[in-house]
Amino acid sequence: MPLRVRSSIRRIAAMAAVWAMSFQVAHATPPESELKVPVEYYKLPNGLRVVLSTDHTAPTVCVAVYYRIGFRVEPKDRTGFAHLFEHMMFQGSQNLGKMEFIKLVQQNGGILNGSTRFDFTNYFEILPSNKLETALWAEADRMNGLAVTEDNLKNQQGVVGNEVKVNVINRPYGGFPWLDMPQYANTNWYNAHNFYGDLKDIEAATLTDVQRFFKTYYAPNNAALAIVGDFDPVQARQLVEKYFGGIKESQLPAVPDLTEPKQEKEKQASRVDALAKRPAIAIAYHMPERNSPEYYAMGLIDQILIEGDDSLEHQELVQKRGLAAGVNGGINYLGNMFNYKGPMLFMADMRVDAGTTPDAVVKAWDGPIEVLRTKPVDKETLERARVKLRSDLYDNMGNVGGFGLADLLASFALFDDNPARINTLVSEFEKVTPELIQRTAQEFLRPENRTVLVLETKPAEAAKAPEAPAAAAKN
Amino acid sequence: MNGTKMQTIAISTIALALFAVPAFAQQRQAPPAGGPPKPFTVPAHESYSLPNGMKVTLVPYGNLPKVTLSLVLRSGNLNEPADLPGLADMVGKLMKEGTTTKSSKQIAEESARMGGAVNINVGVDETDVSTDVLSEFGPRAAALLADVAQHPLFPQSELPRLKNDAQRQLSISKSVPQSIALERFRKILYGDHPYAVVFPTQESIEKSSVAEIKKYYEGNFGAARAQLYVAGRFDAGEMKKLIAASFGGWAKGPAPVVNQPKIKPQHTLDLTDRPGAAQSTLLVGLPVPDPTSPDAISLLVTNALLGGSFGSRITSNIREQKGYTYSPSSQISRRYHDAYWAETADVTTEFTGASLKEIFAEVDRLMKEAPADAELKGIQSYLSGLFVIQNSSRGALISQLRYVDFQGLGEEYLKTYVQKVNAVTPADVQKQTAEHIKPDRMTIVVVGDKAKVAEQLVPFTPASKP
Repeated sequence: MPLRVRSSIRRIAAMAAVWAMSFQVAHATPPESELKVPVEYYKLPNGLRVVLSTDHTAPTVCVAVYYRIGFRVEPKDRTGFAHLFEHMMFQGSQNLGKMEFIKLVQQNGGILNGSTRFDFTNYFEILPSNKLETALWAEADRMNGLAVTEDNLKNQQGVVGNEVKVNVINRPYGGFPWLDMPQYANTNWYNAHNFYGDLKDIEAATLTDVQRFFKTYYAPNNAALAIVGDFDPVQARQLVEKYFGGIKESQLPAVPDLTEPKQEKEKQASRVDALAKRPAIAIAYHMPERNSPEYYAMGLIDQILIEGDDSLEHQELVQKRGLAAGVNGGINYLGNMFNYKGPMLFMADMRVDAGTTPDAVVKAWDGPIEVLRTKPVDKETLERARVKLRSDLYDNMGNVGGFGLADLLASFALFDDNPARINTLVSEFEKVTPELIQRTAQEFLRPENRTVLVLETKPAEAAKAPEAPAAAAKN
Repeated sequence: MNGTKMQTIAISTIALALFAVPAFAQQRQAPPAGGPPKPFTVPAHESYSLPNGMKVTLVPYGNLPKVTLSLVLRSGNLNEPADLPGLADMVGKLMKEGTTTKSSKQIAEESARMGGAVNINVGVDETDVSTDVLSEFGPRAAALLADVAQHPLFPQSELPRLKNDAQRQLSISKSVPQSIALERFRKILYGDHPYAVVFPTQESIEKSSVAEIKKYYEGNFGAARAQLYVAGRFDAGEMKKLIAASFGGWAKGPAPVVNQPKIKPQHTLDLTDRPGAAQSTLLVGLPVPDPTSPDAISLLVTNALLGGSFGSRITSNIREQKGYTYSPSSQISRRYHDAYWAETADVTTEFTGASLKEIFAEVDRLMKEAPADAELKGIQSYLSGLFVIQNSSRGALISQLRYVDFQGLGEEYLKTYVQKVNAVTPADVQKQTAEHIKPDRMTIVVVGDKAKVAEQLVPFTPASKP
């Protein structure tokens, strides 16, 4: 059950523009690339937000439960706890013992997972559509209460410890920059602590912590349930009422202040990675407030600057200067630009040669940035960005067996109380003008709004590594 | 650290008494079974050949307004000269740097205007030139792929940069423990055969020249080695027209090369020292019957039960009972008429020996005793359900069809797969394990801290085995 890392998400996406899901389309063939997603949205009296979206292309159904508790908000002496807790949700509930949830889904022909992100923790399963009731029963069972033991906790502390080791400690570039950068770029503890957790904190967690966390945050009035796929909405409503209707709401604690102060000075930081053979560099900017006009403009700026081989930074850093083999980046390394709520970073990172200085990379990076800041972007470039964004959005929606769509719908239910906005997103990007792009770049791509983080190799490695012939030749 | 652990246990034992009891005191409910299963058939596809021998497969699918095009060529590391491992990868990289009429930037911008990018992936047996675009651009995307595949410029000007990128990437990849383990495992199993190639070498990168790249291309690209897969929403008439127009003139080129490795199990323990490593990376496996074998589907079922699914025996054991590891899994890794079974896991250093012991114990148990009916039924249902998911998206459909075509399994394969999965008996699973997954034939690759694991590995060195 991963705390999802961007690279793994990309790998899944690369697995073939993945498991595309399908929807009711507004137009018949020849296909036009517009679509309208069916959305039914309502709340149970206990506060549970329910989103239903039917699609009968394949006989599968995705059930996803999103709790509005991410790793920003975890006990201050228990870093990594939100994620450890996610693991505990698979360890036993009132009617399902250890391994039984996993086996129940598997034996009914389904797959499942869970993950912990900035602003939510999610749990989902994709099953043959005749198993909808089984899935709803099981999710309701664990929303109703956990039945975990000291042994289960100890076991998952071992598993999570190994997860941190395999993804961070024992891996070159482990945690770079997705886990590192928020700790340098942000100032508010909630946004700036180690989300995966110090091993010591993970080991210190107790069963009391687990139960307290469950009681505080795992309640229907802090959750959204999305059902996507091949089902009858009338029957689904009855089943949701039957299994979730009786779960008691809870008194939710006040949300702590998550705001980040405006950054007024460029930050620079570095850390040594003893396992890395080549240095790496990451550049991150604080994002505009979610759903503001500038936010949508940043979505397009991301496309213009770093998404795809045609992007300005790829052309500059990779094709022209040979500084890196590729520029990785985007908005929200643990998801996409839609599935978060709190303060966020727009970020890029790349791995470079031993002889390449961070200054040289930043100077080259600033070329395209300054172009965006000094004049309105040309129409052709903007149109291309819009097409890429729409194509990406459909891929997000199309992710594995309805899960990608469920993810967006549940996020929009939790954060915006409006999952139907899935059908107006494209029009929000249509409203963005070249002038707004320029203004947004001027305000948010200021050097004072960014953090540059350098991953250094061990000094001995740097001395051994050869200079960069191609990069040197081109400069 | 141990001190912390002890304290945790002491404090939490009290908590256990407070919280865990009520759940076990009550009567447990059984999960509802759900409704009757709905029928599923693999979405229909249309396959045909162009006069030059190139094959085309069209799969209209879904309502999402996108289409995936994948041009698959029987060309990969298998076809490289022995002294130039990784040349096929360099061919793929330089191919993206322009055609005789379009610069790399023009290709990038043209595909971006359609909502996609041209991707070229090079594997040991196949090269895949693909894109994924908005539906209305499908036919134009076919023409773009045709240009990239048929008229590469292979510009000398870009080669030094790509070589430098490749050297950097090589250095990075060789520091990743899972990559080191895979390279060791393949080397031991395949020896001098090209399937042993996981990475290029510094020398082979340096030696790649435009002349070598062009020679490789001439010898390994052409209509006779190509199959284009198109899946998603698209205008079929327009698509066929553009495919005929843009691929019709491609020369037939050379026939695919068949070069089967002759592999035998290599029972050996191979340790790569990685001082200070917090985990040991394990890769344990052996050759198994290939995908055309009558045993292939029984083996898939056996693998899913043994280590290839979340609820499998090895995962239950070393993850969910022991907590030695986060992401263990076993798989059947396949190349052309070639396969091996392997379990991979990154385990806490101090439990390296213990993890191996449990892995082998689970294999032994399945060799000696057939699984219970219910356990096998659960796995069969899982694979049957997974099959639906694996045939319910553009990309997944292409993967399935590609696999069937590549291995030459025939149209019947997908039609009878679920039925064959469900026909496997507990005795079959035991027999497959006993015949094909024998621990005393396995190659054991460990990448970890030698000072801490050498002693733990003593019981697993072949010489000391009884």
